[in-house]
Amino acid sequence: MFGLVARVFSGRPTEGLLDGIRDSQMLESLSAFDVVFEEDFLETDIDQLVGDLAGEFVRLFIGPGHHIAPYESVYVRSEDEDSPRLWGKATVEVANFYLEAGLELPTGQTPDHLGLELEAMAVLAEAEAVSRETGDLDSAKEIFEMQNEFCRQHLRIWVPKICSEIGNETASSFYRNMALLTASLVEMQCGADSVF
Amino acid sequence: MRMINRRDFLKLGAASAAVLAIESQFHPFAYAAERLAEGGRSVNRTSGLPRSFLPSTCTQCPAGCGTIGYVEESRLVKIGGNPKHLSNESALCARGQAGINAVYDPDRLLKPLKRVGQRGRNSWQEISWEQAYKEVAENMNALKTGGAQDFIFLTDDLERDALGRRFTNALGSANAFGASGIYDANKRAGTSLTWGKEGDMPDVANSKYILSFGANPYESGPQFVGFARRLVDGVVKNQAKLVVFDVRLTNTSAKATEVFYVQPGTYALVALAMANVIMQEGLYDGAFIESWTNVSPAQLAQHLAEYTPERAEAETGVSATVIRRIAAEFATTKPATTVTDNMLSAHKNGVQNERAAMLLNIITGNIDRRGGLCLPRQYDLTDPAPVPPIPAPTAATGQSIVAAMTMIKQRKQPVGVLMTHGFNPVYANPDGTSVEETLKDETLIKYHVAITPFITETAAMADIIFPETTYLEDWDIEVRPSLELVPFVALRQPVVPPLDSAKSFFDIALELSSTIGGMQQFFPWKSVDGWLKARISGIDGLMKAGGLDYLKQHGVWYDPKSRPNYGSYQAGGFPTPSGRIEVYSQNLASRNFAPLPVYEPIAAFRTISEEKNEMILTIYDTALQTDYKTGNCMWVDEILHNNPAWINPETAARLGIIEGDAIKIRRTSRSGEAKKSSIETTAFLSEGVHPRVVAMANGVGHTDFGHVAEGEKFEKNGATVTGSEIPKFLQDPNSKLIWWGEKGGIGVNAKDIVPADLDPIGGGEAWGDVVVVLAKS
Repeated sequence: MFGLVARVFSGRPTEGLLDGIRDSQMLESLSAFDVVFEEDFLETDIDQLVGDLAGEFVRLFIGPGHHIAPYESVYVRSEDEDSPRLWGKATVEVANFYLEAGLELPTGQTPDHLGLELEAMAVLAEAEAVSRETGDLDSAKEIFEMQNEFCRQHLRIWVPKICSEIGNETASSFYRNMALLTASLVEMQCGADSVF
Repeated sequence: MRMINRRDFLKLGAASAAVLAIESQFHPFAYAAERLAEGGRSVNRTSGLPRSFLPSTCTQCPAGCGTIGYVEESRLVKIGGNPKHLSNESALCARGQAGINAVYDPDRLLKPLKRVGQRGRNSWQEISWEQAYKEVAENMNALKTGGAQDFIFLTDDLERDALGRRFTNALGSANAFGASGIYDANKRAGTSLTWGKEGDMPDVANSKYILSFGANPYESGPQFVGFARRLVDGVVKNQAKLVVFDVRLTNTSAKATEVFYVQPGTYALVALAMANVIMQEGLYDGAFIESWTNVSPAQLAQHLAEYTPERAEAETGVSATVIRRIAAEFATTKPATTVTDNMLSAHKNGVQNERAAMLLNIITGNIDRRGGLCLPRQYDLTDPAPVPPIPAPTAATGQSIVAAMTMIKQRKQPVGVLMTHGFNPVYANPDGTSVEETLKDETLIKYHVAITPFITETAAMADIIFPETTYLEDWDIEVRPSLELVPFVALRQPVVPPLDSAKSFFDIALELSSTIGGMQQFFPWKSVDGWLKARISGIDGLMKAGGLDYLKQHGVWYDPKSRPNYGSYQAGGFPTPSGRIEVYSQNLASRNFAPLPVYEPIAAFRTISEEKNEMILTIYDTALQTDYKTGNCMWVDEILHNNPAWINPETAARLGIIEGDAIKIRRTSRSGEAKKSSIETTAFLSEGVHPRVVAMANGVGHTDFGHVAEGEKFEKNGATVTGSEIPKFLQDPNSKLIWWGEKGGIGVNAKDIVPADLDPIGGGEAWGDVVVVLAKS
């Protein structure tokens, strides 16, 4: 699930992604999370939609002009920093978390990008599942705790805030609902009880 | 939000997985280690091994940027810029980063070599250091009794090679030569005659109007990266206008606000015509001229009157309207500065050209002010006692390196022992073929010891080679004119220990001097630390901050409270005889040269014949090769390894030349004598070059200097140029992939057809005065 929202906030949407989300089974699954898309997403011709949402993605997250910078260090200012900044303390902490978790930062990526943090959660969830399937419960537990720690120290602190900003900024029901879904997932993950 | 149960999660999870399976992987996090820390620890991306790092100084070009060398398992793996360094502020150019290639050049010398057979055959046997020292000492001791003044020392930068100077003087010779004569001697002379200090520092970062005469700071220049960054600051942050006069579309003119193509060699006429406009229209700073120069505005106006914009238009090709407009803009936009380099001063009239450009700054009061043309600021280092006395001069003493080589060739200066330290005159000097012949001739050069890590074209002419460390395994105190106008001291320290039995020049000088009578007293230090500490002992602030230990840790020191002291001359005047800027130079007058800045047409250009398709050869510097220095660095060679001739399509059409044609460039008889009269290359057609100019890049076309520089794969013979097996630590899989020798060509050294011909005032080589004809070959 984190994988889906990670993809949504990592870059411009593709036809495959949008078609997949407009699939009836997917829509039904999403409705359990209060995700209700409107006509602008559901009824628009796919080519048109890909273009529209790509434009909206760029307007929301890249610019030019007023836009949302989807980086943790912009939302979380450490005490010894005068002002929020790109590649700040938080970025370094996130990068170090990836390192400890054994995740290699993809070249050219800023570690604390919203999409990348969500993707890290997805990758860890999958690693946890694999460990559990192979009966390596110690590893599974360790990875579960990593996710919890990452969620508590990072995602929970800023993701709800940026998601509400996205909700306020956009007229697109796609991005509004995906922001809502992301906030819900983060809240649920951080409140999750250990299954071990 | 309503309650979400486990089933909802699983459903969404499955659906998401289905969507993402269609989508290709977009962010594959790999399971490997990479530690990032804010300016801190470093580990290898793939192996996870820790890296250590040390600050040092780059000498791949004259800029002297601060570097950080990253070392893994005692192997240098990366060079970056030192963020603490005032000049380059963490940036480092390709040449600097490719310095690793020099350390691990498989052709590197690790043992002393003695020639086998005739000199110049490039056939060698390895000998021990003991034997090498013994043989050289014998020759030097013999010289000591016979006439040590016949000892000749050639180095790259004589100012910085304090040890080389000391060694030469201690032996009893005054004949140490630096390479300034082939680089910036005319600029040095022009500035020194005018304001008493060699060189300048245009404060471009703070300027509003920047006028370049042939300079190309975005691609090359004595302070390359640091200066380019400040020029960008000036143009972008400070909204300065950048106006360029050039003969070629350079990386700088391509990004200028306005660019004008000029008839080669006529920059000074453009500058003087602009100065004339400024005087005539009353746009000058009269108070500055009256207070700080030794001429009056009336005198100047009268002197400049002959340089009308109309005359300039006829001879330079720049319209009179443009000259009037740019002159007015330059004079009325404050602060403003000019930027010049060798393209302006490497001519027979180079000193006067430099003075003409300086004059624009002087008459507009843009001297040593924020955003103007500033005096260079640099710490002086101590020459530690006991300083050897300067011996009596001989015929060649004090001449430029070009003139000295000519005198040796003409037997006007005998040479008992020649010591070349790193420098490669066979490649770097004009008429290199003659230099090679001179060095090969045992009746001219009795004994030649080369101190170098590589067998260069010059070292190939040696009798014995001492394997020196590369600059990355050596020590020195490095000072340069500060771009921030706040002087600094930097350290060059070994980022890796000397490989095998290579020795630093300090060790060589120390050990060799101990075997020669009377020299040891001038080298009293037990280790290099003693020498370095003595060199910085006069800089109080640095000594208080921790001296050498501070430098070892940080790589560079400057007084943190220091700010640019603009207007520094106001305290004690200019360091000229009159204390003022000498627009009128008594020195020049007494030597029967024009005492006021003048335009002296280059004789060979006056009679240039369009019918005979005569053109002017321009040899330009690039961002990727530093003359003779970087040819064995494969990372830069792969990008720049050949030098097709730039020809304007209009000219090419007239000559029937098309892109890629093999062509021959022949020097005409009017342009003096050099052993080699023609070179061959291919044609590169571009609108970006003046129709009367053929332009070629410098730094390629090596005939020695090892496999890399000569574009040869190592697998061809599996051995180094000395014939020995390549030791494991020099083996590099990339050295088997050198492709450009076969596919791109290694270019040609265009300087070979340039005669040894100097500006009589400054003694600097006139690289830019060669008239050539082109033909298909």
